[in-house]
Amino acid sequence: MKRVLPVLLICFLFIAGSYCSVRSNAGSIIYFYNPETNVNNFATLKTAFDTYLVNHGGYYFQPFDSKEKFEAIIREKKDDIYLLSSWHLKALQQKSVPLKIALVGTSKGNTMQRKVLSTKKDIANVAMLKNTVVAGAGSEEYIYSVLKQILGKEQESLLKDIKILIVPKDIDAIMAVGFGMATAAISAESSLNKLAMINPNQFRELHGLGFSEEDYLLVAATLKKPEQQEAQLLEVLRKMSEGAGKENLKLLGIDGWRALQ
Amino acid sequence: MKIINFGKVLILLTTFLVSAGFAQSNKVLIINSDNGVFRYETIAVEFKKVLQQSAYQWTELNLNSHVDAEVKLKQLIQQENPELIYCIGTKAYSLALNHAHDRKLLFSAAINWRRLDIGEGTYGVANELSPAQEISLLRYFFPTIKNIGLLYNDKFSSEYVETIKKDALDLGINIVNQPINDAQEISDSLNELLPKIELFWIISDPVVLSSKASVQQIFKSAQQQRKPVYAYSDVYIEHGAVMAISADLATIGRQSASLALMMGKGKMPEGTVQSPAGSTVTLNKCALDALQFDFNQDALDSVNKIVECDK
Repeated sequence: MKRVLPVLLICFLFIAGSYCSVRSNAGSIIYFYNPETNVNNFATLKTAFDTYLVNHGGYYFQPFDSKEKFEAIIREKKDDIYLLSSWHLKALQQKSVPLKIALVGTSKGNTMQRKVLSTKKDIANVAMLKNTVVAGAGSEEYIYSVLKQILGKEQESLLKDIKILIVPKDIDAIMAVGFGMATAAISAESSLNKLAMINPNQFRELHGLGFSEEDYLLVAATLKKPEQQEAQLLEVLRKMSEGAGKENLKLLGIDGWRALQ
Repeated sequence: MKIINFGKVLILLTTFLVSAGFAQSNKVLIINSDNGVFRYETIAVEFKKVLQQSAYQWTELNLNSHVDAEVKLKQLIQQENPELIYCIGTKAYSLALNHAHDRKLLFSAAINWRRLDIGEGTYGVANELSPAQEISLLRYFFPTIKNIGLLYNDKFSSEYVETIKKDALDLGINIVNQPINDAQEISDSLNELLPKIELFWIISDPVVLSSKASVQQIFKSAQQQRKPVYAYSDVYIEHGAVMAISADLATIGRQSASLALMMGKGKMPEGTVQSPAGSTVTLNKCALDALQFDFNQDALDSVNKIVECDK
């Protein structure tokens, strides 16, 4: 019996230690929600990121397709990392949610993007968009917000006469104009460059009627100054572009991260 | 005091009558061929969401829920007097066509809509992406491809193949097509075709895809000659297709609703039947890696599902 007790004690300490170690990392999760896209790829994102993160510190990734559920998680104020669009971040900051940018996503060296309102060239001005369909990828709230910004105060009243058609991705939105399913599209400027590559004839038929202000691509934010564990996770995230994780970042439409000075 | 109360009642009554009139004029009858079918129900759900946002009223008839659906349809048309009838699936459209009279018709999820009897005042969203959409997306993922091959039967698919050839040519892609009369010809035709192309495209042709054995033969030949196969449906991913692009069901529902709203405003859309505006992409990385076939990694943000090899 005297011999059994120390063995049991060692086993207990080992199990308890392992549990605590797992718990300490299980506390940090990367939460993701992006109202600027509508691609239903959550299962793929979850598998790809979890596979990478579990092997780089035992972290996890949780994508959301619901803004409300994502915001509910932020309200719980845990020591986590939140990946979101800068438009959403600003909206939350206006509601006094103390999110701060830690990393900004990059794509081909750029951290900023503009949204463009494209139409065929016979649509000469925004007034001609009355009673038409505008295609865009992302949430309807987001598309209306970008459209409102592009139309400006003078043409804002047009919004009530424009029907938004939500499509999965930017390239669908732009092609919807070329193929006649929509009169205009809201997309990232870089998506127009993609169209130029894949369908140059269609690209030549389009022109930009207006542009939004420049904004960051996807951002990684925290609710407070990162503590050791969050800092470690941010470092794992930052280094994803250096190896096998780069493909995962491409799923999010970025190819790297840059620390905000 | 009485005058004020009377005034309030009058305002309420006017508001009620105006809103009732508005709702009446925008009433939509949705006929669903079978709400137990996932694709039909997904489309219906999205359609109703958009209608709800625009304060439209609708009534629904699920054909699978009624023994005598035709009688129920007649009843509903008489009772509800809908301005527009939205038909999901071929069965719903065929039934509605006989009873719609001069009402506007809108359809989606109809298999091979070109065979439908489409009159004036009828609009629709096709079930399949247009060849130009598919080829554009193919170019997005595989920008270096110049020659794509396909098998088809002249009787069923000659018109479709001609459209593919024309659209592909506009995008700088050469389609090498080979007609077959019988599934028995698949093996020999592929032996001739595959060396001339970089990618084989499975189109929805009833002769080429006449049996499981035909499908297996296509993948066996392609594998032997190390040629990637692209398909119009993700059903073929498990056989080894490197990619499948199809129409996004939720977008078909939203697009149909957009058409309904525009029709309600008297703004008729361009063309009678639109191609679906949204696409769904499945990428088989396992098959691509096995063939060492490169794809544009910048297109990964447009992929819905990635299939990796089992570990």
